[in-house]
Amino acid sequence: MDNLGIFLQIMFWGLYAGCIYILLATGLNLIFGVMKIVNFAHGEFLMIGAYITATVFLLTGINPYVILLLSMLALVGIGAIIERLCFRPILGTGKLNEIFLSIGLIYIFQNGAAMIWGDAWQSVKSPYDGITIPVGSLNVPLDYIIIIAFTAAILIALYIFLNRTRIGMEMRATSQNRKGAMLVGIDVERIDVISFGLGCALAAAAGTLWVVSGQVFNPYMGSIPAVKAFAIIILGGLGSIPGAIIGGLLMGLAENGAAYFLGGIWKDAVSFIILIVVLIVRPTGLFGDKGE
Amino acid sequence: MKYQVLFIAVLLVMAALFAGCTQPAATQAQTTPASPGVIKIGVIASLTGPASNVGTNMWQSAQVAADKINAAGGVTLKDGSKAQVRLIVGDDESTQAGGQKAATKLITDDKVDILVGGYSSAVTSAYEQTIAEYKVPYIVTGASSPVITHRTDIDTSYIFHHCPTTDTYGQYTTSFIDQVVRTALAKKYGYSADRPLRLALLYQDTAFGKGVQTAVNNTITKNKLNIQLVSQQSFKMGESDFRTQLTAIKAATPDAVYIAAFPNEGAPIITQARRDIGLNTLFLNVENNDNAQFYKDLGQYGEGAIIESRFSPYTAPAGAVADAQGAFKQAYFAKFGTYPDMMGASTYEGVFIAAKAIGNAGTTDKTTVRQALVDLKMPQVIEAMKDQTISFSPDYRESNFDLWMEQLAMNATAGETRPAIVWPDNLKTTDFILPAWYTAGSA
Repeated sequence: MDNLGIFLQIMFWGLYAGCIYILLATGLNLIFGVMKIVNFAHGEFLMIGAYITATVFLLTGINPYVILLLSMLALVGIGAIIERLCFRPILGTGKLNEIFLSIGLIYIFQNGAAMIWGDAWQSVKSPYDGITIPVGSLNVPLDYIIIIAFTAAILIALYIFLNRTRIGMEMRATSQNRKGAMLVGIDVERIDVISFGLGCALAAAAGTLWVVSGQVFNPYMGSIPAVKAFAIIILGGLGSIPGAIIGGLLMGLAENGAAYFLGGIWKDAVSFIILIVVLIVRPTGLFGDKGE
Repeated sequence: MKYQVLFIAVLLVMAALFAGCTQPAATQAQTTPASPGVIKIGVIASLTGPASNVGTNMWQSAQVAADKINAAGGVTLKDGSKAQVRLIVGDDESTQAGGQKAATKLITDDKVDILVGGYSSAVTSAYEQTIAEYKVPYIVTGASSPVITHRTDIDTSYIFHHCPTTDTYGQYTTSFIDQVVRTALAKKYGYSADRPLRLALLYQDTAFGKGVQTAVNNTITKNKLNIQLVSQQSFKMGESDFRTQLTAIKAATPDAVYIAAFPNEGAPIITQARRDIGLNTLFLNVENNDNAQFYKDLGQYGEGAIIESRFSPYTAPAGAVADAQGAFKQAYFAKFGTYPDMMGASTYEGVFIAAKAIGNAGTTDKTTVRQALVDLKMPQVIEAMKDQTISFSPDYRESNFDLWMEQLAMNATAGETRPAIVWPDNLKTTDFILPAWYTAGSA
């Protein structure tokens, strides 16, 4: 394997990792953009999505890429309930309440998942496990090509939803100016529920793709990805969906590049180094508005 | 507003209930009052958090040991009286802060006579100062860094190490690579004796992983082994994506890869290496990977892999040890419906060692019990020990295990791989082979 081949392969693993980050961060940014709330429990929605997919797959044998839709739908429901019961009552009462509430939710979800599924590490094997497709000098597992394709499809669908549907446009309006949206008759509380549910569904998609890629998971798996998702949305710009996509991709590529050139222990650190540099040069993030 | 208050109250109650659900044993045992004729053994285990799988196994194994001791009448003290063993668990929550809390509570509130357990060297190291301060004998059965008893910044004289250290198994595995893998390579490829064996290391960036890395490097240097370390890659504890490090290792074209990882990392490493990277080489693993979940997670990708071991769910060396291990596995299964793992085995023995030391001391006075542990010579329990005897070395108070190497082969019935002992000669049940798909490294 020549140097170019190694470099391309590492960039491909970065692209794959970036897909998971993009979905998680886009969901988080969608919620923040509309509701302006800080939800540290977002990684737990990824974890629940992962468990739902794994459980349904093991019980029924249905193709996990089909279960992805079921998992996303389930998380729309769970997200809507959490928004209605937990976040709506404290909306506008201060960031500290949101932070403590989301930390409480982390413990509840983690312990709840441990009670239902146990807290041992688990993994499942995709039906396409072992199938590889030659792409240039790379021998790429079919699952990763599907994962990248699914991520692209979900993002295109999200773009169409936000730009071509009435609810999508109402979400963007609420994100841009909540009071203005209320003044023109938009039911912002309804938009909050939809945004939260949609954000959670994107986290569920990330969790599903995590599972089908053969990575191990347990009830505590969501914490680190959630921290990285926060770093990505700050890097990309708070509330900016393109920022989350570019930030996620950048994070995936930078992490894997750093692991190769600097060593594995720099994998997490390099993302935050980039974040600090970007914040010094451009405090609003790559695509953020000054108001955020 | 009243709904908010009500909801928050409900949330708090739910959190308390959920938290309680994951550690019922701890709550129940820790409220047990002291009573005469009872030896109180504190068990420090990770009942919650990322290491809870191993920790639960350690705690349950300790219970099986206590049941067996008590069923046989308890511990006979020097005056001929009998004392029952009572276990009290402390959950270290898989964190350093949790370990500190658990150790302090067991010593100051529960007033245990002796401690057993401890998993993760980082967690165990964090509360060793407390052990030193209160001078409570502690038999560490899970943390494998030699630092546990070698450190000089605190008094470790009350700490006894009953599990192989990274020094021991790093050295053991490197010797296996030099003696067995090298010979097999020479036989298959006609390599000359002066060709260096190309070894890559992939290790967790913790005291445990670095301990293995140090042991391998020291063994090569000290014994002047003709082994060339072609790549040394590290990863953070809990990492799940190893593809970049494996790509770097593949580029270095190794003959074998030694992995110093926990089971939740070891199985994905081998899977990603063979499935995603196409790294068709020999993977050697440390002993803590030898548990049922590891085999399940590996699936067919475990074929040909090597594990250094001392207690396996699926194999045992012939003779008395196999019978004793079988009896322990059955007793554990009868009580909990699952099978014990390696850390459970050493913790099971840890309770026997604690009971024996107190029996020999004839008292629960901690200084006398410590001396009894120093002087201890008892027959091996379920794991193979050097000279079939459990005793602690005079310098660092480490027991001396008889280790072995297993090679995994696909078992069609199980749909997973199963191990067979291939080294050393006195314990092996089959010969080591290079798998048909194996590709040797090249300079």
